[in-house]
Amino acid sequence: MARSNPEARNFLKGIAFLSPWLIGFLVFMLLPIGLSLYYSLCDYSILKPPVWCGVDNYRLLFHDSLFWQVMRNTFYYAGLSLPLGLVATLGAALLLNRRVPGQSIFRTIIFLPSLVPFVASALVWMWIYNQKLGLLNAVIRIFYVPLNALLRLLHLHQHSPIQPPWIVDANWIIPALVLMSIWGMGNQVVIYLAGLQDVPRELYEAADLDGANAFHRMWHVTLPMISPVIFFNLVTTMIWVLQVYDVPFIMSAGTGGPNHASYLMTMYLYDNGFFYLKMGYASAIAWIQLMIILAMTGLAFWTSRNWVHYQGK
Amino acid sequence: MRVLLRSIILIVMAVAALLLLIFGPSSEQRPPAGREHDLVIHYWEKWVGAEGRAMQGIVDDFNNSVGLQKHIYVEYLSISNIDQKTIVATAGGVPPDIAGLWDGTFVQFTALDALQPLDDLAAAYGITEGYYKPVYWNACHYKGHLYALISTPASVALIYNKKMFQENAAALRAYQCDPDRAPRTIEEFNRYADALNTYIVGPDGKKHLDRAGYIPMEPASNWYVTELPFWFGGDEWDPVNRRFTLTDPRVVQTYDWVQSFSYKLGEDAVGEFSGAQGGFNTPQNAFMMGNVAMEMQGPWMANFIHQQNAKMDHDWAAAPFPSAVPGLENVTYCPWDGLMIPRGCKHRQEAFEFIAYVNRQAVMEKLCSIHCKNSPLTHVSREFLEHHPNPYIRVFEELASSPNAHTTMQCPIAPEAGADILAMIQGLVAMQKDPQNGKVITPAAALAGIQRRITATWKNYLKQEQRRELAQGGG
Repeated sequence: MARSNPEARNFLKGIAFLSPWLIGFLVFMLLPIGLSLYYSLCDYSILKPPVWCGVDNYRLLFHDSLFWQVMRNTFYYAGLSLPLGLVATLGAALLLNRRVPGQSIFRTIIFLPSLVPFVASALVWMWIYNQKLGLLNAVIRIFYVPLNALLRLLHLHQHSPIQPPWIVDANWIIPALVLMSIWGMGNQVVIYLAGLQDVPRELYEAADLDGANAFHRMWHVTLPMISPVIFFNLVTTMIWVLQVYDVPFIMSAGTGGPNHASYLMTMYLYDNGFFYLKMGYASAIAWIQLMIILAMTGLAFWTSRNWVHYQGK
Repeated sequence: MRVLLRSIILIVMAVAALLLLIFGPSSEQRPPAGREHDLVIHYWEKWVGAEGRAMQGIVDDFNNSVGLQKHIYVEYLSISNIDQKTIVATAGGVPPDIAGLWDGTFVQFTALDALQPLDDLAAAYGITEGYYKPVYWNACHYKGHLYALISTPASVALIYNKKMFQENAAALRAYQCDPDRAPRTIEEFNRYADALNTYIVGPDGKKHLDRAGYIPMEPASNWYVTELPFWFGGDEWDPVNRRFTLTDPRVVQTYDWVQSFSYKLGEDAVGEFSGAQGGFNTPQNAFMMGNVAMEMQGPWMANFIHQQNAKMDHDWAAAPFPSAVPGLENVTYCPWDGLMIPRGCKHRQEAFEFIAYVNRQAVMEKLCSIHCKNSPLTHVSREFLEHHPNPYIRVFEELASSPNAHTTMQCPIAPEAGADILAMIQGLVAMQKDPQNGKVITPAAALAGIQRRITATWKNYLKQEQRRELAQGGG
């Protein structure tokens, strides 16, 4: 039978070769995802069988003041980190794409931080951010006068303007985390660089003939041509910033402090699941997080029709 | 030919995978040569480094004595995140035979039936109430049953820099303090702290704290800040009525005292100063650097001072941390590490053999001495006290034996409550403002908020318990 149908035979062979991944996907991904949806509707502590409670976990979350604070923190972090990260990495890629002496050295310097493990870089940044002894405040002290004026504009002058309390103050910790997240975005820069090198030269030549200046070339040629890459970085970075865990965990010694100011959604999820052993509640948080990410990603895809241009379309 | 080659490669790969499955990494540990038939007891413990080596030494002693006679071989495994891993392994039906867990999660785990009661075994080995100091014996119980025995305990005291006291004798005397002894009341303690604060003027023209007499949230000594109400005669949890008591006036008074340091020193000064200090076991530890004169710590401080700054070995001393309530003496908090047998352990009797061995007075004293901790046992030998690495071990022993010794909140949601209280304290110390009126949030208001939140969590926990019991009854 199999001999008489080579297509079916090939299909079975393909499935057989795929089976390690397929089994892994079913057992370690799909099944836990399905179970987590069920657990989100149960009281479940891992050690005792789940007990059905309907939407009680979701109702409790709705009335949980800490959950709302965690949501605010997460959106604050994402709202700062996502646009700043996209602009900073695109800017870095545009600069690194210029033919200047030592180009490869600059590219290496920008990419290197992304190779440092998050835990190690978080520990280093804790010292960089040290209010009294940190490198960043030492540099800031040099620019005291203009910075003081800027902080007054931003209503952040209540603290010593020459020594911001980066990670010990509830108002500063999220900006500090955002700044650090941009430092490690070498991967996005590399993706932008690949996109930039794919822009056809003749488009720039045509723009030059039309009398376009550097800004026009970037606005009307570069950005539309790399818009699929921008879109890719937007979606992946958005998913990443809405799930960030490790750096705020290390920087706040696992507390999400000071005073829950750096307590983000994934940290709250993990604490509920593995420290408070409220796995049903943690599953409900996970599903809300998934819905938020799906909605944001869906929104990005929906708007992409108006600003993402694919070559040949 | 290609088909044959492909088949051979596939067969070789399949055989290799099969061999790996059969002879590859396995959960079964094998005892050393000559003891292949001994029963292996898996013991998971959190300790690494010197503390881990000390426990490994005890395990080796057991394996070469009692274990040899009774054909038991204990396999010691240092493991990170031991709480989570023990829970997951227990839920999966493959728990270790012995788990070395913390006091902080003891009640939480017990309430979830993660641990086995040990009453019968302990009694059979003569480990009864009189054998232990009351605070530790009570701490190992939940709802009338024994679920753990101590591996190493502690009590906390005031650790102070007596050399700094002498160097600042004039300043201390100006505040009516005696530089030759530790403060004995909170009122006196406040004066000592004020006298020892020093400031420098920064390039911004502002005063910056250079050295602190005491700071409640200094990173190397803020471990027990949530337990401070004990020194004010209060408690955050009412164990009799099983309810949170965060709005109790004595608890409010405690956190008024904590926040008073931010008022006295300035919120910026506290944040800036604390942020510049290193962690506990680092050379930047504020006490070991001489940046802080007094702190609340356990007996292990002697070991860490010796390791990080041996020059300071004779410059410090320990005394009971002063109480705010007249007549309330020798108040302390007693954290502990315990040995527990998880649910589903298949070798309960043999596992307890090792736990009982650790609880022999000589073994316990050896372990506690290396870990630089006090003993949990009622009787303590003279050798232990005289040869202990902490010259002030008698202070810690006396505190642990005190009727005013307290231990971790015996509440199943203690980890969650503790995290909330700690976050609240961070807000108080940072003098967080109420967004409604722009005024600094007072401890009374903050505690009322936390009381509401934690009480709601507690009520929900009880509701879940009821639902679970109903489901079990119905099933």
